[in-house]
Amino acid sequence: MVRMNSRELLWMGVMLLGLGACRKDVAMPDPIPMPEPIPVPNGTLRLKLVPEWEGQPLALYTEYRNYVDQRVNVELLKMYWGEVRLFNEPYEWALRDVVYFNLGNGPVSVDLVADSGMYSGFRARLGVPASLNAANPASYAASHPLSVNNGTYWTWATGYRFLMIEGRYDLDPQSTAPLIASYALHPGMEPCYLPMEFVPSEGIRIIAGTTTEVIVKVAVDRFFHSPTGNIDLATENAAHGNNLPLAIKLSENAVQSMSVE
Amino acid sequence: MGEDVRVTEVDIPFLLDLPPGAPPMVLPADAPMTEASVRLGKALFFDPQLSRDGSIACASCHFPDRAFSDTVPISKGIEGRLGMRNSPPLLNLAWHPAFFRDGGVPTLEQQAIAPIHDTQEMDFNIHFAAERVREKEPYARLSRLAYGRPLDAFLLTRALATYQRTLVSGWSRYDRFLQGDMDALSEAEQRGLALFNGPDLKCGTCHGGFDLSDHRYHNIGLYTLSPDPGRERISLVASDHGKFKTPTLRNIALTAPYMHDGTFATLEEVMDHFASGGQAAPNKSPLVAGFTISPEQRLDLIAFLHALTDERPLDQVH
Repeated sequence: MVRMNSRELLWMGVMLLGLGACRKDVAMPDPIPMPEPIPVPNGTLRLKLVPEWEGQPLALYTEYRNYVDQRVNVELLKMYWGEVRLFNEPYEWALRDVVYFNLGNGPVSVDLVADSGMYSGFRARLGVPASLNAANPASYAASHPLSVNNGTYWTWATGYRFLMIEGRYDLDPQSTAPLIASYALHPGMEPCYLPMEFVPSEGIRIIAGTTTEVIVKVAVDRFFHSPTGNIDLATENAAHGNNLPLAIKLSENAVQSMSVE
Repeated sequence: MGEDVRVTEVDIPFLLDLPPGAPPMVLPADAPMTEASVRLGKALFFDPQLSRDGSIACASCHFPDRAFSDTVPISKGIEGRLGMRNSPPLLNLAWHPAFFRDGGVPTLEQQAIAPIHDTQEMDFNIHFAAERVREKEPYARLSRLAYGRPLDAFLLTRALATYQRTLVSGWSRYDRFLQGDMDALSEAEQRGLALFNGPDLKCGTCHGGFDLSDHRYHNIGLYTLSPDPGRERISLVASDHGKFKTPTLRNIALTAPYMHDGTFATLEEVMDHFASGGQAAPNKSPLVAGFTISPEQRLDLIAFLHALTDERPLDQVH
């Protein structure tokens, strides 16, 4: 049992008074109400993908020559972009989780709502984000980018083909026979989910109430050759989950083939 | 007098009969097991309208009297198109952590999409399949009862998965023996069981547990270099090449031919493969090291495998 004398009691009283005074001094003033956030007016970013073969509009079933003069055509071309976002370093503004492009009938556009402002460029990934890639496609309406109706779903792997390019080829440059041999290159799965960055020389200005169009040229001929890896159709004509190195090489080439003006 | 009496159909839980020793069955929240959902799933399972040309049903490759497996090495889809792998039996799927022989599909609901879309199987589209049968009976009534709305692609996967979860195996003489009925297995079968779990063969290492499968992936040396990448196709890991999910041994006497490609026609051939130790695949399971047994022991082992056949139908929907 601790006993205090009258002097100690006096000091304790003074201390308590002091504490009380301190509490009063540090009491927070009434908070100043935060101003209502000012809504940033929205504009539209229109991404227009334009498939080309050596600088000319790509036409399905048209015979072209590849980098080693082999005869080749394209009969199907589809791709997904994931995590599309505008950026101004060090910030990013997410626009859409996934966008689907069926480039079989020429250029395709997608409109994305964006805050008005000036941006350095935009980023995306070739493919479908992992969380969406693992979802059950039966959940999506027929019009959804991830609907099984698009023919992009890999049922056996519960994931999507990020890029699909199919067509026919002939290794003999002199032949005039119809193209018979087929190729089908379907990259998918996480290692093929590659980043892309597009920086237009004058940036991207989104103006409220208007549409800003950015044209992305897709040089399909360069899917098959690039400084980092050529694709030899004689031996590299099928990637359907069974040839990951080829799938990655094609994905890398495809990413490098896309550019903005 | 003269009152208008309306009778409304009400769905009720499906009373699934689980065998002794079965683990608890956990159902997805969006796939309730009710009388209507199970009957809807069964009707879909046996309906060839789910295929593009109306010729192939799930049951075309999964015969009920074969423990819902097929009788040929590789099943044929529409127009006689050959599939990729042997059709596995459908039983105890509620406890499988992944589906297909390479485990590429994580849920039974997602699995339901695959054969409908596979160009070598039903070559159709799950949205179109649902649209095709939506207005017809019993689909319209059962879907409304089970889910409160017309059949669509999402519900189609739920119903098919729910029906398949009711296909439970666990009523074999082996199971009765485990429950204490010592007369359930003959002496030869009991000797076979001892061999099965014994230190020389160690079959039970992979074929253990309620489902007689560890549900893991092994290369058992079927080929030096497997033409089928197996699990590698999903994991993208080279050391998974030629690995496949351990199949259940329940009803194994009914599910010939055997292996992921149906390469063995009989249990005797399977036995010979494991006795030989298989091919020298670089990633072959060390458990497949070969063994020597007498002809009598071989017969005992096969007798035991026959005792794994259920004594009642797997299908509980009558």
